[in-house]
Amino acid sequence: MPDNTRGVFSLIIINKAGGLIYQREFQSGLRNLSTNDYLVLAGTFHGVHAITRSITPKIPISQPAPSPATSSTGITAPAASGYSYPNPGVPVSGLDYLETDKFRMTCFQTLTGTKFLLFTDPLTGSVDTIIQKIYELYADYVMKNPFYQIEMPVRCEAFDRHLGAWLRGRT
Amino acid sequence: MVVYSFYIFDRHAECIYKRRWLPRPTSTVGKSRSDTVSGAAPTGLGQTVRSTDDDSKLVFGTVFSLRNMVRKLGGEDDNFVSFTTSQYKLHYYETPTNTKFVMLTDLKSPSMRIALQQIYINLFVEYVVKNPLSPTEHPGGVGVNNELFEESLEQFVVRAL
Amino acid sequence: MAAPPRHATMQSISNGGIAPGTDRPQTQQTQAQLSQQSPGLRVPSNRKTIYDRHLNRSRNAELSRASFAFLFGEMVTYAQRRVTGIQDLEKRLNEQGYPLGLRLLDLLFYRSTSTSSSALSSSSTSSSPPNRPLRIITLLHLIHGPLWRLLFGRAADALEHSVSPDTPNEYMITDNDPMVNTYISAPRDMSMLNCAAYVAGIIEGVCDGCGFETKVSAHNQPTELWPSRTVFLVRFGDPVMEREKVLERAGVK
Repeated sequence: MPDNTRGVFSLIIINKAGGLIYQREFQSGLRNLSTNDYLVLAGTFHGVHAITRSITPKIPISQPAPSPATSSTGITAPAASGYSYPNPGVPVSGLDYLETDKFRMTCFQTLTGTKFLLFTDPLTGSVDTIIQKIYELYADYVMKNPFYQIEMPVRCEAFDRHLGAWLRGRT
Repeated sequence: MVVYSFYIFDRHAECIYKRRWLPRPTSTVGKSRSDTVSGAAPTGLGQTVRSTDDDSKLVFGTVFSLRNMVRKLGGEDDNFVSFTTSQYKLHYYETPTNTKFVMLTDLKSPSMRIALQQIYINLFVEYVVKNPLSPTEHPGGVGVNNELFEESLEQFVVRAL
Repeated sequence: MAAPPRHATMQSISNGGIAPGTDRPQTQQTQAQLSQQSPGLRVPSNRKTIYDRHLNRSRNAELSRASFAFLFGEMVTYAQRRVTGIQDLEKRLNEQGYPLGLRLLDLLFYRSTSTSSSALSSSSTSSSPPNRPLRIITLLHLIHGPLWRLLFGRAADALEHSVSPDTPNEYMITDNDPMVNTYISAPRDMSMLNCAAYVAGIIEGVCDGCGFETKVSAHNQPTELWPSRTVFLVRFGDPVMEREKVLERAGVK
């Protein structure tokens, strides 16, 4: 059975405050951590994610020839006032993909601030499709469950069931 | 491919070298030094130096945390290679002596692991480690920002990449 | 019909009564103009409200499953306030469904009489036009087939009679995957809870509306294939069972 879920190691869901609300292993491949370690990992990643966003390179917008003479005259240097990002058309995001020798981590942050961390084999394809489906199942079986309290740990049997079934049925 | 910045951190978590490349218009052929800003040797061109010091600390914190996370999940023999955001890609290489090489590039760049390794072996070891005038430790970047290393790094990034 | 002009006349009188130039009549006038130009959200411009539409118009219309899920979720959350236990919560859900069953019955009969009798299952339409069910089996078929189709777009999955001789008044209607429970995962400490108690309340209302005193409850009976399989246990009261015997002797179908 677990052979069919090949390529997907585990899933972590982090709420918008950086708290771990879901952790599930689908296939062994990564080392098992204690619950406490996972909590620490979620909190750490939450912070790192915000930093990776803030260290985005800023490209100064080319000013009309800012020669050294103008800056020495006492007029404030024109640069650093205007800059753009490398991909101006794309919203600035934090870490999306992380690659190591042994696994690949994909981070999907919803517009509401929830983060889905999917750990897969580096060779697993269509990770974005998997994450989109997980988001869909989350919206269905977690957010529509009247017994689920927002931002609290996810304990929804229907979510577990459908997630497992979908990953197993994926070819 | 565009390289935005390059950092070296020593085993004491100190940033011993940093350098930024400002993207220039593609039409410009001349690769003069005035196009680049060396953070380690802040000169008159202080446009972006202002934030590089803080940036290097943030970069170190990021790679340090991610490296530990990767080791925890993948085991001690796993290596953190790179990460991607919607705007840039960060490449990471760590030597057995715990010196860390970090490079920020655009998204189109392939894996820079070999390149960072080459910088380590062919430039850092050759011009910094083997330099008899360079100290063994580099507090505040002493000994790293020598002319040979900087020039060859410049050439490597501009020509080879 | 006479209402709008009269309203306009009154408006003009009040306008004339107050000296022009003050602020009040102006604001009143703008309000009146606004209410005449854009008739508000409730009444469409053609004066046809949702109540003016034919009852059969929405017969085959589709509803958003998501909006139902959210609405039902809120109903469960609401019912959960200050409950003493699972049974209390199920009782409240049951009570929410009961009036719906009573009202729904009229719509069900109306639709099954005004259109071709094929809408009803064959067993309950032996005579046309269909009558109010008098016997238990006819009633249960009405619930199993037409009521389930009206509510969930498909028939229920099974209808059984209790095999135990002690409880001849018990019948079971099975739904393999109740729509109300699609997105619901009960917490572990409430594993006995089945929110389809709401549907049980609807069934109870329908039975009561037909003159059958009943108690209906919903029970989890998960199988490997159907993890949220639910059995609705229908228990008819003693007067119903006695009447049933009389009707059987009289040969009423």
